[in-house]
Amino acid sequence: MKLTALTRTLGIAGLGIAALAGPLAAQDFPERPLEFVAGYGPGGGHDTMLRTMARLIEEQGLIDVPINVVNKEGGSSAVAMGYLNAREGDPHYLMSITSSHIATPLTSNIGLDYSDFTPIARLGIDPELLVVNAASGYERLEQLMEAEDTLNVGGTATGSIEHIVTMQLAKATDLSLNFIPFQGDGEVVTALLSNQIDFAITNPGPVADYLDSDQFRALAISTEERIDNLPDVPTFTEQGVDITISLFRGLTAAPDIPDEAREALTELVTTLFETEAWQEEYIEPNAVVPLVITGDEFADYLGNTEEVYRETLGELDMLSQ
Amino acid sequence: MEALGNLMMGFGEVLTPFNIAIIFAAGLIGTVVGALPGLGPSAGIALMLPLTFGMNEASGLCLLTGVYMGTMYGGRITAILINAPGDAPAIITALEGYPMMKQGRGAMALGISAVASFIGGLFGLGVLIFLAPIIASYAIFLGPPEYFLLMAVGLATVMLLAGDSMLKAFFVTCLGVLVSSFGSDYVSGQIRFAYVPELIEGIDFVAIIIGLYGLGEVLYNLEKKVKLELGKPRFSVKEFVPGRAELGEAAAPTMRGSVLGTIIGIVPGAGATVATFLDYALEKRLSKRPEKFGTGEISGLAGPEATNNAAVPGSLIPLITLGIPGSGGTAIMLGALIMFGLRPGPLLMQTSGDIVWAMIAGLVLANFFLLLSNVLLIPVFVNLLRTIQNNLANVVIALCVVGAFSLSYSAFNIWIMLIFGVVGYLFKKNDYPTGPFILAVVLAPLAENYFRQSVMLGQGSAAIFVERPISLTILVLMILIVAGSVFGRLRARKLREMRNPEE
Repeated sequence: MKLTALTRTLGIAGLGIAALAGPLAAQDFPERPLEFVAGYGPGGGHDTMLRTMARLIEEQGLIDVPINVVNKEGGSSAVAMGYLNAREGDPHYLMSITSSHIATPLTSNIGLDYSDFTPIARLGIDPELLVVNAASGYERLEQLMEAEDTLNVGGTATGSIEHIVTMQLAKATDLSLNFIPFQGDGEVVTALLSNQIDFAITNPGPVADYLDSDQFRALAISTEERIDNLPDVPTFTEQGVDITISLFRGLTAAPDIPDEAREALTELVTTLFETEAWQEEYIEPNAVVPLVITGDEFADYLGNTEEVYRETLGELDMLSQ
Repeated sequence: MEALGNLMMGFGEVLTPFNIAIIFAAGLIGTVVGALPGLGPSAGIALMLPLTFGMNEASGLCLLTGVYMGTMYGGRITAILINAPGDAPAIITALEGYPMMKQGRGAMALGISAVASFIGGLFGLGVLIFLAPIIASYAIFLGPPEYFLLMAVGLATVMLLAGDSMLKAFFVTCLGVLVSSFGSDYVSGQIRFAYVPELIEGIDFVAIIIGLYGLGEVLYNLEKKVKLELGKPRFSVKEFVPGRAELGEAAAPTMRGSVLGTIIGIVPGAGATVATFLDYALEKRLSKRPEKFGTGEISGLAGPEATNNAAVPGSLIPLITLGIPGSGGTAIMLGALIMFGLRPGPLLMQTSGDIVWAMIAGLVLANFFLLLSNVLLIPVFVNLLRTIQNNLANVVIALCVVGAFSLSYSAFNIWIMLIFGVVGYLFKKNDYPTGPFILAVVLAPLAENYFRQSVMLGQGSAAIFVERPISLTILVLMILIVAGSVFGRLRARKLREMRNPEE
């Protein structure tokens, strides 16, 4: 059972396809039902995101063809990437992507990477928080940075984004950090609750309640500016540590689809993202920061993200070539 | 008591005709899903998710937890009838249940296991209702060192599953460790033996058991022309409702299984499968006739069945009190809670207590329904098997193929299943035990990861195992048990020598 993938992505579920019913309906797209491809199993984050999207698009009447959600699980999204790659030029497919879309091609030789596909939109990000147990007494990042002993840091999986943040933090400060990979957010929360680790790097979702009830304290967030949900948590940057990397949730389409179809898909999803239903049923419950970017801007973002991954995974000797 | 009052409030929410119907249907659907090889609790809950859209939270959660509970009842049916465990926690059930089937006591095996499941489930629910918050606050203090030692105890039970030849058991254990090491390793970040992308996440454990037990058994039976002893088409109640003698034999193991299952279910990450192995080992250890294990021993059937059902409410404890999912099934439940707009975490009981209590009341109700339907349907199950008996091999192969396909909706797992079907056949033909193999596949990666996490937490020092009080306690107990059994053997040998000095 892949708890990591499950809990991590639980929530990434629904992108919307809006706005296709308009002038485009007369053209040749969409000429048949759309297919949403989830790289993980039913009930996982990708799956629930896509199903929420499909349901809301239909409820809001944003498109007049049905939408099917299919699961092409396996290989940390490599199977789904292969599946989508085989649909070259066909715009009726939309795949949910997250960090594994970047990391898997780097760590395993699958002959594909993000640039083979047609990026459509990033629907939001999951920032990384530096969280301590309130009982530890740390109140500011500064105090933590004065620690002389090696600190134990919890996060999910070696080479994960939590690990990358930890490495960047160690590099930017004099801290000696010992990253311990756990299987899934649940285990990380447990380890922090019982003081088995000194601090954790984690997304806001799994620790939200603990932050509200003052059992945990967040000392820094990896966004460029503070976010609305957590206005009191200072960014790494404003505390003099240059870390701005977050987990993204996005959508990509098959390779080489026609430009008009790409625009139509982009418009469909961005229209959905602006609806209130989307905010209420997906963004809020999953604590996603809805920073939407599309088109070339999204492609550039993916390129930058890949560079960061390539550098860090290279240091960890995890690159496949 | 506050808990009872809350539970009554929950029942008030649940006892509407619509909800009762939902819970009843969920139990039956869960039973069927659980019975199909390959489809386990995670698949059952995931398949039902779309149906819950549009229901209110309480009904939706009752549906999902009912299915979860139902799969635990269902997994044992195919395990007993055709030796193809419907899901991982039912593997042990097949070890004793299927031999009973072959002796014509299949209906009784179903009856006993249904009752044991019921008691296990009820016990777990009792703990969930009255002690959940207290237990959860202690359970978090178990960390990787304790888990590692727990897994080491589990691996030691290889000795009890070994059968006649220790050498053969050792060989299959090593093979199991090898098989389990495929795929990405989240501790080191490295990917092992991923010759094709499908292997990046490792070999699907359920595909292995479907092949090893389901297909392997078919191949073996084809060669041996085994005929199942199904008895008469009409059953008297005595044949499937356990009488005083059977219940007497099953009572103590069921109680032990209930306690063990609840405890291990609570520990995040261990899960029902590990619990059943530990319980089987415990029963064999405590049994007055351990040599009968594997030939249809009631205590070896009832204990693990109670265990796997007790683990369901057990695993819900960290989920609803801390928001921490301890198994695949509860991870999907976590997703469902979020979809219903609840926020799992330490505040869940305060912010949405009414819904959670309704869900718990629904589980209690589902458990009663499931006992009733699972006992009353035994003649149906057995007669169903009778009608297809002449084509049983075909039906089982079809179920295995469909089951393997459904794991990831791809042909890849069918190949895995076929390979392990042949492996299972060869094991069986040459008397290699499958128990140690499966045990190694399940436990070796857990033991490996927990060990490495422990040493990492200790920043390179293994002293962490003796510095933590709970870990130290487990270690001391392990040493005492080993010393005790070595001492016991030496003493027994000395006694024999004293009695027969000439030997």
